[in-house]
Amino acid sequence: MRMPPFQLHTPTSLEEAILIAGELASNEQEFDWVAGGTDLLPNYKWHLNVKANVISLAKISEFTELNETHIGAMVRLQDLVESSATHPVLAKAADTVASIMVRRSGTVGGNICLDTRCYWFNQTEQWRESIDWCHKCDCGTEADCRVIPNQNTLCVATYQADLAPVLMCLGATIHLAGPNGARSMALSEFFQLDGMTRNVLQTGELVTHLTLPEDVAEWQGDYQKLRQRESWDFPEAGVAAVWKKNGSAKPSQLRVATTGLESIPMLHTKQVDECLDGWSGAESINELAESIRKAVKPVQNTWFSPSYRRKMVKVLTRRACAGLMEGSS
Amino acid sequence: MAKDGNEDEMVGYRQQPGKLPFAKPGSGGKNQFSRPTDQEMIPESQGGNLAQPWGSHRHDKLVSGQIIGKTTALVDGKWKVTGQAQYGDDIRLPGELIGRIIRSPHHYARVLSIDFSKALELPGVVAIATGADAENKFGVLPVTKDEHAMAVEKVRHVGDLVACVAAEDEATAREAERLIEVEYEILDSIHDMRDGLQDSENPIHDRGKYHIGDANVQKRVFQEFGDVDGIEENAIASHKQNWLFAGVNHAATEPHAVVANWDPSGRLTLYTPQQVPHYVHRALADVLEIPMHQINVYRTFVGGGFGGKSDPFPHEMCSAILARKSGRPVRITFDREEVYWINRGRHPSRIEMNLHADDQGRICGIETDALIDGGGFASFGHVTTYYNGVLHTAPYEIGAFHYTGARVWTNKPASGAMRGHGAVNSRCAVETGLDDLAEQLSVDPIDLRLANLLPPHSATITGFRVTSIGMRECLERVKQESGWDEKFRKMPLGKGIGIGCGFFISGSGLPIHWDPNKFPHATVHLKIDMDGGVTVHTGAADIGQGSDTVVAQSVAEVLGLPLDLIRIRSRESDTSPVDLGSYSSRVTFMNANAAISAAMQIRDELLDATAEITGAEREKLVIGDRRIFAKNDPAVGVSYLEALHKAQEDRGALVASGAYRTPPMGRTHKGAAAGLAPAYSFSAYVAEVSVDVETGQTKVDKVWAAHDCGKALNPLAVKGQIIGSCHMGMGQVLSEEMKYGRSGHLMNPDLLDYKIPSVHEMPEVFPIIVESNDPEGPFGAKEAGEGPLLPILPAVCNAVYDAIGVRTAELPITPDRLLRLIERKCKAEGVGDPLELPSPRLEHSELQAVLSKRATEHAKRDLDRRHNENREPYHNGALFGLDPTTPPDEVDEKWAVNVIPSQEYLADPRLAGSAWKHTERRHRGDD
Repeated sequence: MRMPPFQLHTPTSLEEAILIAGELASNEQEFDWVAGGTDLLPNYKWHLNVKANVISLAKISEFTELNETHIGAMVRLQDLVESSATHPVLAKAADTVASIMVRRSGTVGGNICLDTRCYWFNQTEQWRESIDWCHKCDCGTEADCRVIPNQNTLCVATYQADLAPVLMCLGATIHLAGPNGARSMALSEFFQLDGMTRNVLQTGELVTHLTLPEDVAEWQGDYQKLRQRESWDFPEAGVAAVWKKNGSAKPSQLRVATTGLESIPMLHTKQVDECLDGWSGAESINELAESIRKAVKPVQNTWFSPSYRRKMVKVLTRRACAGLMEGSS
Repeated sequence: MAKDGNEDEMVGYRQQPGKLPFAKPGSGGKNQFSRPTDQEMIPESQGGNLAQPWGSHRHDKLVSGQIIGKTTALVDGKWKVTGQAQYGDDIRLPGELIGRIIRSPHHYARVLSIDFSKALELPGVVAIATGADAENKFGVLPVTKDEHAMAVEKVRHVGDLVACVAAEDEATAREAERLIEVEYEILDSIHDMRDGLQDSENPIHDRGKYHIGDANVQKRVFQEFGDVDGIEENAIASHKQNWLFAGVNHAATEPHAVVANWDPSGRLTLYTPQQVPHYVHRALADVLEIPMHQINVYRTFVGGGFGGKSDPFPHEMCSAILARKSGRPVRITFDREEVYWINRGRHPSRIEMNLHADDQGRICGIETDALIDGGGFASFGHVTTYYNGVLHTAPYEIGAFHYTGARVWTNKPASGAMRGHGAVNSRCAVETGLDDLAEQLSVDPIDLRLANLLPPHSATITGFRVTSIGMRECLERVKQESGWDEKFRKMPLGKGIGIGCGFFISGSGLPIHWDPNKFPHATVHLKIDMDGGVTVHTGAADIGQGSDTVVAQSVAEVLGLPLDLIRIRSRESDTSPVDLGSYSSRVTFMNANAAISAAMQIRDELLDATAEITGAEREKLVIGDRRIFAKNDPAVGVSYLEALHKAQEDRGALVASGAYRTPPMGRTHKGAAAGLAPAYSFSAYVAEVSVDVETGQTKVDKVWAAHDCGKALNPLAVKGQIIGSCHMGMGQVLSEEMKYGRSGHLMNPDLLDYKIPSVHEMPEVFPIIVESNDPEGPFGAKEAGEGPLLPILPAVCNAVYDAIGVRTAELPITPDRLLRLIERKCKAEGVGDPLELPSPRLEHSELQAVLSKRATEHAKRDLDRRHNENREPYHNGALFGLDPTTPPDEVDEKWAVNVIPSQEYLADPRLAGSAWKHTERRHRGDD
């Protein structure tokens, strides 16, 4: 295993980073951003879509700010876990990421922008050569998708990051900066349904930070993660649920989001609305769990089979919402 | 001279004025003066206080109370923890080149041409080799040599070796890889082991006249012992299960690495982390066509073996070939993925297990059919095919044993030997089957086992000579310490407890490469010069299991020396006596015996010298810590150095060579040698698990693990082996699996997707050491490295049943597989919510009392046989009313031994048994 050579750029401010990116782009040079490196560098070692230039964000101090409503892109996952400013559900989700060594390096921004994963893609070069490459890393061969053959328009690699569903539920806004200035959007609008495009980031654009609404502390909830082992493993499915109760048995507000099931994380607004409309307690939670199970479409490209992952979405949703029923009968 | 508080120890010793009484500083280890003999470490039979409930041992008189039985840090531990141990990839020779291997991207193909002219032009590329550079075949077993250094005609799996390149640095070598153009003709590959049984247009290997039909059957076995025809009549309960075991890999921390160097005198030194350096030595001589004395195999530190580094490997040949071509040292280090391509892990297996019990709760029949997937090469497979059968003929006395086994070649990385070689999967099937039989008979599964054990010093149905047996004690200890009676079939849904047992060889009785009557299994040389330090030359490969430590301990014990006076030289074939290597759990048993035999010779010389100096009676002399003295008057004696120098007067350094050879044993039928061992280990585990019935996730909470290792020479190492075995076995039973995708590719050749249990998955393990004091083992010891792995699999499977009433027949029990079984169970029970499933419960039948009574009687019988040295022979079959003193097949025609299937059997064979439908080419007269 050997790291392919690349030119490393280490800007110390956002402006400088964007400037470097702009220069590289205008010279038609390809580049990647690197934050903690725990996702990008292993992929580089496997020669997955390697670029000649890498711009490190490690020296940009403004990206590490962390308080109740502001999370910098370069906040390390373990710092998020340990900070008293972190929302408990977010801390719980962050605590399930990989292992503590990875969390000490991996960042919030990197986790949000995690590359999608697939059994046919996350392999060494020799291995991928033996399957004649795939759509996500075709090495100039225009290879077909190996998961769902005979369609080479969509990549179905799976988004397997833990933070996004929780942040989406908590109503996070994501803030981007790029050569054309800054822009912001709801995190749920950041992702784009394709395993290769993945999100709305344009060339030269990067995530600077996330913000949470002022009332974030009033939300309660849970995150449930499916995986073979309690360490290291990416989520085979993940369900976040948050709610506001205002004293009554029925939640005044409820949000549920899932990850690890398709190429993007998803906020299940429609299913939740139906659940709240016809609210009947525990039974409604079961119905909600069932409707979310029906809504997700995992494919055969991770450790567990798609059918099992779908079944587990139902169990995980019920368990994530278990706190909702506490104190009510 | 410093006197730091050691004066007390000198009280009562006679001293001569002006003479140093004991060892000189620096020559006696950390402490200058000898310690008084620790009576707690001296066996009762020698007048000490060490209790010997299992009787005395022939090595008792050699015990000096130094170190045997004491918790001892491994002698190479400090090298490892300080990072100074040199593993394969740490060897750096001046001017080294980096070698890379070009591998097949196809499952099965003919190599038409290889064009490496472009690669050779790349600056920095020094040498390129292909199959044409070394056409001689090799393989770990002389009967099944089917490997080449690189593809000679065909590639047999994705990742098979095609060519190799040596360059100035890794980047250049990798660049050169891309420039080598290989033209292939793709052949139809097979991936399902069942297809391997069929005739094929292009069998993966062609063995000429010894080929079995046109199939991919590499080895087939048929064995019948005992009253097979009577099974149906005698059985009142029968268990049948079709198992599917996924292949697993050793996943040792250190990937394979090798450095080859030809020195100016034309000799080759190969630095390699090998478990079995001697076989590499032989294979190198064959492949390179040079005599063995021109090769020095240097075993580096080994970062984990588990069987995965016990074959001679093609990449080892490649580095030697490239080094010869380039005239420079060549280093090849594997990526993790390449480790999976070389594999030699446990065989994916389909095992049909049939167990039968009669009205007395006796095991009146075991019928096993095992089809094992060998992948592209033979490796150890010949032996594995036997082991899948013969290693479950004990520890129980059985009425009939029928075994059909077959190993097939498929277009996958080769399977081979892995910790618990060949015994693990079928043992899991037997032990879960026994659990099911107990359920059917409504008896306690531990009592069922206790009432069916072979006694010590008996012969199994296949004729294995079993000496010491601690099985009963293992079962009793885990039963008691786990609180079995309060928990079994009594816990709520989702909580369960289960039992599993194991039986394993302690050293393979027959060496692979020679007649044991003409050459010993293990040899150890000792050399002691005037400094008093003992240099031990042994060829045993320390692969982390602590073989260096065990040899050092044995020598230290016999000579009464502290461990730091012993230095082990075990690395180089130039200086080490030939040793068969670290496999089949043979090292402690054979090598320590050889070391003791060598040390005894030195001991005799020291005693002679002491008798001469002191005038004391030779027979009364004993060895304590660095002092030899008269037992009846400890004041009469000399220091170790004094005796040594006296012994050296006329001849200089003392040297001795000791060897070990197995006694003659076993029967004469075809295959009788497979599974023969000078001793066998036994183990019993109880596992307690929690199962989440909604997700199918299983967590092992606690394991009580009793292992009979004869005598724990180093209890720390034994416990380490037990706990490590639990971890490894838990991986296979819960999560580890070499997953092949729909296109036949190995989907998870990396440590993220090959799911080794993490620390979170690891249960609390309570290791329990049972010491049955084997009469032939060194100080009574037997193996502890592989046997402890066997029971954890069935113990977990049985505990899962106890928790949720579901029997699994496919490993690993990943949550998705278990959930499918839970759903099926819910359907069968008519339950909508799995949380409402009933837990299994047990109400004893009348048979329970019969079993308890028999178990009590047998416990007495075993105790008698253990202590009575004039015991009668005991052959399997006595439990069924036959005369125990003669092999049953000699007196009862029904018990005749069969190793060829009858026409009647072939009319309706089991899966692996159908391999016998083919006729071997020489038998049908083909060339």
